[in-house]
Amino acid sequence: MKRVLGLLALGALAPILQGVAASVLSVRWCPDLGLLLVVAIALCWRNAAGGVALAAVLGYATDLLSGSLFGQHALLRVFAFGAARFGSRHLNLRGALPRAIFVALLTVANALLLGVTSNFFAAGTGAGLVPTGDLLPHALMNALFAPLAVHGTERVVALLGDDDSSRRLLLIETGR
Amino acid sequence: MSEFSNRLRVSFLIVALVAIALVSMVSDRRALLRGGRELSWWGSVLLDLAAPVQRLAAVPAGFLRDAWDRYVALVGVREQNEAMREKLDRLADENLQLREALVASGRLERIAEMRDEFEIPMLPAELVGLDASPWFRSVLIDRGRVHGVRSGMPVISEQGVVGVVTASSRNAAKTMLLLDRQSAIDGVIQRSRARGIVRGRGTEELEFEFVAGGRDVRVGDVVITSGLGGVYPKGLRVGGVTAVSEPDVRLLRTATLDPGVDFGRLEQVFVMLRRGPTMELLYAAEDAIPPDRPDS
Repeated sequence: MKRVLGLLALGALAPILQGVAASVLSVRWCPDLGLLLVVAIALCWRNAAGGVALAAVLGYATDLLSGSLFGQHALLRVFAFGAARFGSRHLNLRGALPRAIFVALLTVANALLLGVTSNFFAAGTGAGLVPTGDLLPHALMNALFAPLAVHGTERVVALLGDDDSSRRLLLIETGR
Repeated sequence: MSEFSNRLRVSFLIVALVAIALVSMVSDRRALLRGGRELSWWGSVLLDLAAPVQRLAAVPAGFLRDAWDRYVALVGVREQNEAMREKLDRLADENLQLREALVASGRLERIAEMRDEFEIPMLPAELVGLDASPWFRSVLIDRGRVHGVRSGMPVISEQGVVGVVTASSRNAAKTMLLLDRQSAIDGVIQRSRARGIVRGRGTEELEFEFVAGGRDVRVGDVVITSGLGGVYPKGLRVGGVTAVSEPDVRLLRTATLDPGVDFGRLEQVFVMLRRGPTMELLYAAEDAIPPDRPDS
């Protein structure tokens, strides 16, 4: 419970800090803190059901403070969580570089999905695909901040719980 | 077996969450199209809670920006001041001439009467937070339903159009900026009266799309609201043309606009609590239409 509340607090802080960062930095150089936190939770927290529910809650919090359709970021965060979870099971995401590359690719996929959902649900509003000129620097910024976000979240998860669930996922084939 | 049931549980949860998100999006879109997008009670409470926290969190960022503006970016301010004084003198002369012309045409008295009659109440509001997503451009203001703010109300500043209220809670409201990619308003070139659509690009620039065969559009032209979109009154400044493209295959041309409002420095705005023809009076007092209802 302590851990859930701690991650929720981090999640509530993320969109607020995002808004503050946007007042100082241009969109393209602003990391997506909400996305980074969801990826970090997927990589650090073993409780998949809790993680995906938390990702959706964080998405709704972003929707509330954003111009998007209500539920759009929730959907994106659930997909991001699923992708990061899948990635952690099938890829080696232990070092800073693999995590950075993974997050950069996930950022691009996230932006594409945002464009697709905007075109589908809000057709005619002009909210289509994100311009490549903004997306690439943004993906780079997310990649740079990803190892830091994962490390920070790992520390928080470890600090707020004393069991082994904060350890990274490592599947061991037992042959059974 | 336990691992299997756990996976099944997570899969079911994901499907349920995706379904809830899709339903939320559809219902939000429908509410938006109906023009009555109001937040749920819990959304309203969360937005009310977020507004003061965002305001508090923005203090250090504002301090940094102020320090930069006041001490670092002051180089050349003397020259700028001189230029602005000259411009002010020129505008004062121009204003005087326009008043003379209005008096001469016998319309000033009528305009004054109608202005009193149709005066639009303006509610000052402060920006307390920016968009939580990098791909959308909206702001949070510190006035909400208690103060009469509703979805669809135009938000302006002394520099021109800022945006439109898209959702409101008790004490806060979300405003979609003109820069947002979902924003599109009907505009007109002040000089040539060429009409077109002003769209946000999600960046610091706007685009003005107009028919190639229409009236001319030149760099330096000023775009104002046409009053035809149904949200903004006529005559509000939108931006200035900085570049004009060649016609595309649809025979449409696009001009790049520099917004009239400096969104990077925006702190205080005004919510127009109802729409009315006040701005139109400056153009055609005889054609003025009665004001719309508050929630339209």
